[in-house]
Amino acid sequence: MRRVALFLLAIVAPLGAQSGRGSVRARLTGRVPEVAIAVVDSVVRAAEAERLPTEPLVQKALEGAAKHAAPGRIVQAVGAQAEQLRQARTLLERGGGNPPTAIEITSVAAAMVRGLPPPLAGRIVTALADEPPGPALHAVADLEGHGFAEDAAVDLIVAAARAGLRGLRLLDVATAAVHELQRGATHPAALATVRRALPDVPWPPKPSPAEVNRARRPRPGV
Amino acid sequence: MSKLDPRIHEVLDGDLPPERLPPELRAVVLRLERAAGLLRAGLAPASVAGRVLAALHRPEPSRGRRVLQWLTERHVITIAMRPVWSLALAAVLAAVVLVPDHGSAPLLGAQEGIARFVGHFPGARSVDVVGPFTDWHTGVVPLRDDDNDGVWSAVVVLPAGTHEYMFVVDGERWVVDPLAGRYVSDGFGRQNALLIVRPVGR
Repeated sequence: MRRVALFLLAIVAPLGAQSGRGSVRARLTGRVPEVAIAVVDSVVRAAEAERLPTEPLVQKALEGAAKHAAPGRIVQAVGAQAEQLRQARTLLERGGGNPPTAIEITSVAAAMVRGLPPPLAGRIVTALADEPPGPALHAVADLEGHGFAEDAAVDLIVAAARAGLRGLRLLDVATAAVHELQRGATHPAALATVRRALPDVPWPPKPSPAEVNRARRPRPGV
Repeated sequence: MSKLDPRIHEVLDGDLPPERLPPELRAVVLRLERAAGLLRAGLAPASVAGRVLAALHRPEPSRGRRVLQWLTERHVITIAMRPVWSLALAAVLAAVVLVPDHGSAPLLGAQEGIARFVGHFPGARSVDVVGPFTDWHTGVVPLRDDDNDGVWSAVVVLPAGTHEYMFVVDGERWVVDPLAGRYVSDGFGRQNALLIVRPVGR
């Protein structure tokens, strides 16, 4: 009896271990060039072993295939994405606290890809130690994208956090500063106006009930 | 079959007092009277008249009890329908079961939000938004231009968080959303638009 159980375990265990990997291959097969699949699969396996989120890697490969990128380019982009996720996790772990979630890692990686230099990102993570830093990093990147100086942008977002604004509300701080620019203020004047008003920054408009009713969930498999 | 003593008949008919009978015949009369009593008690209600009378005197059951009784009892239900209507009904049922449900309004989860995609593509025959939420497939989230003014839009439910996306015009032209405000390098020499979806509860 015991021999039968061991025999069954020997057969089933490798199948179970491969099932996750099998599903990654299944998702890539037919869309991603065959020569790229093996390498992408090994990158995904390595990311799994490091407990990094793997879905962004699968998506990067699918994106490359959809954009008709060459197999080498796909592999390169997936490798670069893995490295960005790794850096994002390192940055988050430096802040201490609970192990970062896949969403946090992905969000921070996206903020870094927007061009935030690591020392600047590190400054934000340190300043907001008790807070998932993704929204703050994106708020700073939003300000930078509109020509605000890096340090001044970080100062404003840290000040907003100290004034009690948290999470996605930090994005509203950047939006308020951009609105001041659009009204004709200079960059320093826009920052000063928003800073004086903290923590009062306008909320973004909520989706109307009609929009909510119209909204549909995408179903890629259907 | 033994014949009964005529004196027993007389006692049973009430013509002769039982005390006038010898003891052995009196015992027979007693047994016969006991048997008659049993018959009166057990068999009389089983007669047709007895059942009708019992039913007439039974109290009317309550409305709820009658409904419950109707629901739990067996009934023969006959529906007369023209074959053309039965075919139409079958087609409607098949459509409900087989056609994917794109029509019902969504119930938003706490970690979901609404994303609105808008683009100006005059003359386009089709516009899709693609991203990880569509596995980068076209045809999953098509934009619509109902009034043919060149402004295409779609409203979708997405998980809260960051989402990269692009528009695909006429199934082949990849266009970055000029109104997105946030962009990231796509790793293939171009840029994706970046959307940050807020949960409905903020």
